[in-house]
Amino acid sequence: MAHYRTVRDLDWALLLFALIICGLGVLQIYSATADSGSGSWWKQILWISIGLVLMWTISRIDYHTLMDHVPMMYALSIGTLAAVFVVGTMAFGSRRWIPLPGGFHFQISEFIKVVLVLLIARYMTQLQTHELEVRDLLKLGALVGLPMVMVMKQPDLGTSLTYVPILAAGVLLAGLRWQYLAVILVCLALVIPVSWHFLKDYQKARLVSFNDPTADPRGSGYQVIQSRIAVGAGGIWGRGVTRGTQTQLGFLPVAPMDFIFSAFAEEHGFVGVVVVLGLYFLLIMQIVQNAQMSPDRAGMFICMGIAALVLFHVLVNIGMVVGRMPVTGIPLPLMSYGGSSTFTTFLLLGLVNNVRLRRFVN
Amino acid sequence: MEPYAETESLSRVRVVTRILVAWALIIFLRLIILQVVQHDELRRLAAAQQTRQVEILAPRGRILDREGRPLAMSLPVDSIAIDPVRIPDPYTASNILAGVLGLNQPELLGKILVGAKAGRHFLWVKRRIEPAESERLASFGFDWVESRRESRRFYPNGALAGNVIGSVGFDEQGNSGLELAYNDELSGHAGERTMLNDVRRRAFSEVVDNEAEAGRDITLSIDQQIQFVAERELARAAVENHAGTGTVVVMDPNTGNVLAMASYPTFDPNEPLKKGSGLAARGNLCVTTPFEPGSVFKVFTLSAALETTNLTPETPINCGGGSITLFGRTIHDTHRYGSLSFADVLAKSSNIGAIQIGLRVGDEKLHDYLLRFGFSRSTGSGIPGESAGVIHKLRQWSKSSIGSVAMGHEVQVTAMQLAQACSVVANGGKLVPPRTVLKMKWPDGTVEPEPVRPATRVLSPSTALTMRRLMEGVVLHGTGTRAKMPGYTSAGKTGTAQLYDFNLRSWVHRYNASFMGFAPVNNPAVVVVVTLYGTSGGTAGYGGPVAAPVFREVASTALRVLNVPKDLPETPAPVKEAAPADDDLAIAGLSAPSEPPQPEAVTTPPAVTQLLPAPVVPANFVGISGRRTPDFVGRTLRSVIEEASASGVRIEYFGAGIAKAQTPAPGSVLSPGETVRVQFGR
Repeated sequence: MAHYRTVRDLDWALLLFALIICGLGVLQIYSATADSGSGSWWKQILWISIGLVLMWTISRIDYHTLMDHVPMMYALSIGTLAAVFVVGTMAFGSRRWIPLPGGFHFQISEFIKVVLVLLIARYMTQLQTHELEVRDLLKLGALVGLPMVMVMKQPDLGTSLTYVPILAAGVLLAGLRWQYLAVILVCLALVIPVSWHFLKDYQKARLVSFNDPTADPRGSGYQVIQSRIAVGAGGIWGRGVTRGTQTQLGFLPVAPMDFIFSAFAEEHGFVGVVVVLGLYFLLIMQIVQNAQMSPDRAGMFICMGIAALVLFHVLVNIGMVVGRMPVTGIPLPLMSYGGSSTFTTFLLLGLVNNVRLRRFVN
Repeated sequence: MEPYAETESLSRVRVVTRILVAWALIIFLRLIILQVVQHDELRRLAAAQQTRQVEILAPRGRILDREGRPLAMSLPVDSIAIDPVRIPDPYTASNILAGVLGLNQPELLGKILVGAKAGRHFLWVKRRIEPAESERLASFGFDWVESRRESRRFYPNGALAGNVIGSVGFDEQGNSGLELAYNDELSGHAGERTMLNDVRRRAFSEVVDNEAEAGRDITLSIDQQIQFVAERELARAAVENHAGTGTVVVMDPNTGNVLAMASYPTFDPNEPLKKGSGLAARGNLCVTTPFEPGSVFKVFTLSAALETTNLTPETPINCGGGSITLFGRTIHDTHRYGSLSFADVLAKSSNIGAIQIGLRVGDEKLHDYLLRFGFSRSTGSGIPGESAGVIHKLRQWSKSSIGSVAMGHEVQVTAMQLAQACSVVANGGKLVPPRTVLKMKWPDGTVEPEPVRPATRVLSPSTALTMRRLMEGVVLHGTGTRAKMPGYTSAGKTGTAQLYDFNLRSWVHRYNASFMGFAPVNNPAVVVVVTLYGTSGGTAGYGGPVAAPVFREVASTALRVLNVPKDLPETPAPVKEAAPADDDLAIAGLSAPSEPPQPEAVTTPPAVTQLLPAPVVPANFVGISGRRTPDFVGRTLRSVIEEASASGVRIEYFGAGIAKAQTPAPGSVLSPGETVRVQFGR
């Protein structure tokens, strides 16, 4: 069966869309950091290259084998998350990174996504029933909830919320009674006001300023307002690479990372924005297509979990950039600058290829 | 795939998919609204926070003396502003700033907190700081401190000519003197530029919208060396004779160029105006403050008489034995003269004689001549606050007014008017309006001379020549012998007016002492008017003893500086201490005829000699050929000018601070008229 898994069998369309998005990302990182001379764009190219290797590597190991090792990977992940509290590095007021030799930092909360995708696929394939029982929901809730709470405590609300779509996709596809869905929604409606008291002050401020950015234009509303101005200043055709004044003059916060889409919108305008949104649509549809062609239930769950995750990232990040979502530190996959995020996304794309490479096996 | 897709599950997936599509559509619509609909408005918002208009300073023009030596110039200095919002720790910040800049820390802290609360990004901390302060502050490298280039007016000679030049306010706009009068010409036009600034308000790039147009350089007729001596001598005389105020005007009678205008007291225009003290203290007393001139005015009465009557210098004038009764008012002379020649009426300054002559001229003609001499109207010197003085209209004259006016009472004149009128006699009969600004230089190098105002004839040349001779008599054997100077002939007239205290309603023993004269007699090159207001000390406070020595020192310096050929032997004539010569009090008993006029003062000449400074014999009269160049190196600008003026050495200097080098070298022989160039530095 080894002779089927050749390079030619990789999902080249998926890879092409991903690499075009990456290229636009590198261009924007280059532009946003042009005057600082930090060479971030060069580093991003390095992350993408490593990501490609990771993708290839993970696609080599049969995803069934990977699923067999989920308990061990899950335990390791929880252990590492706990370790972050001890040896983690502070940045932007939160403890998310594990320092590695060579000055690199490793964000474990990103990699957990891969484990959770496999974990949910494994759980769903072992189900005997057509629809999920309360017991299953509680179990899944606990399995996903543990790392969520730990990540929330870092505090990193954004990343912890990205685990939800993986679970939601799995649950919806596995079969959920309308009644249960209603109960879950009611519970959420009750939990949200209560959880307000558990939010950090800066998170509350972000929610308030999402509602009314002008309430504190120099504080929590600042990012929202500046991002809105940057996107709007871009107009239809954009202001050109390294010509976006919001980006270049530092008005736009964290331009190469969470707000990279804002910087891109300023410099490339509505036309550029439509191109990027189209690319993400094609990318996600390609993943969905792989789900449809997957050889078994497990492959389908893996691909759909990944599709949901990427879609969630895109919608929340861009929603935040245009002022239609509260500010949560969620990167735009493949575009935002950052090693952990890039590696994770390529690992997930590796899983999609993994499924694809084994579609003829049965 | 089909085996795993239960229909119910599929419908749920469809619902979720629709929700996601709606979500995506919302975002898409939002992008259209922002990038297409609201584009213009958001673009404007971006520009509003990224750009700011900044004024480009136009360098203020310099004020130069006759020889192009700077009297006022503008230097670039730093002003410090902060961004209160971005100060991380206001308490520490205010401590550091207060320490470096010498400010009140609690006050500064209050301002920072108020500014931060109001969300202001700009607050001036201190304007125009010292370079050392600026350097120290820069060494901290705070990114919330902004150093802006501004310009500070600098007067290299301190108080020298301060009352002429005036000063500027905090925004470098003239608030007095010529700085005020020529403010528009000096200040130029500020430019404007648009700065692109980053989020920390640091300049990123800039576009100049309008270039600044620098102000014009103004060259005055004032000569720094003459001005220096005039101020020094005036101050010395004022202090010795307890005068409250005083003036000296030095003028070229032929061109009207004002070579010096000294006021006492002076002020240093480098010092900012103190709160509460008005600008009055910065006025130029030579033009702003008219006074009752007294006997110097007799020159104009006699000039009018020579033109309008058949009186000649030899005509005897009946001086009535020392008193005259005019329409019920009795006026006394200090000395009793039976009869004096017309010439001696001036030389001895006889009041009775002057009144008799005035009566011969008559109200109408005297009034007419005084107006022709330029009294009762502004000289047009261009200095702010110039007074026209007062000559009453004819119909306001009482029957006895002619007597008062003939000897310089019931009139108010300024020192500048006296200088202008005296120039008429000195230059052969023409009224030459005074001129303080010679030329202006535009930033592009174009030089525009100030227009010369036309002169008008007042006296016939022969009358003027006769008056010159009569005024020389005053110096040779009259009340003004102290005006004699070595090397040059001189002519003049003393004046003393007793002051009337309006509070006490009586005449007090304080005088307005004055001297008005010119030199050399045959070809006058300078007219010098000296007035001292409120002198005391009996006859020692009269015009002769007080003002004439000032005339002597100032006029001889001016002639030397102007390289006027000497018309007398080099050896200085001994100064005669002729006590009777001082008696030119023109008022004596206008109000109290019974009171004899100060006989005790006349009998105490020793007091006079004690008060007088020892005659100064300037160094260059010892023999010009052997003069050596003084050593200026290591000395301040002020002391160099002082020595140069005292020794008659012409200097030209560059820079500011301490003298670093000079050519010719110290000790080398200096040929007559050669200029010593001195380089100053810090």
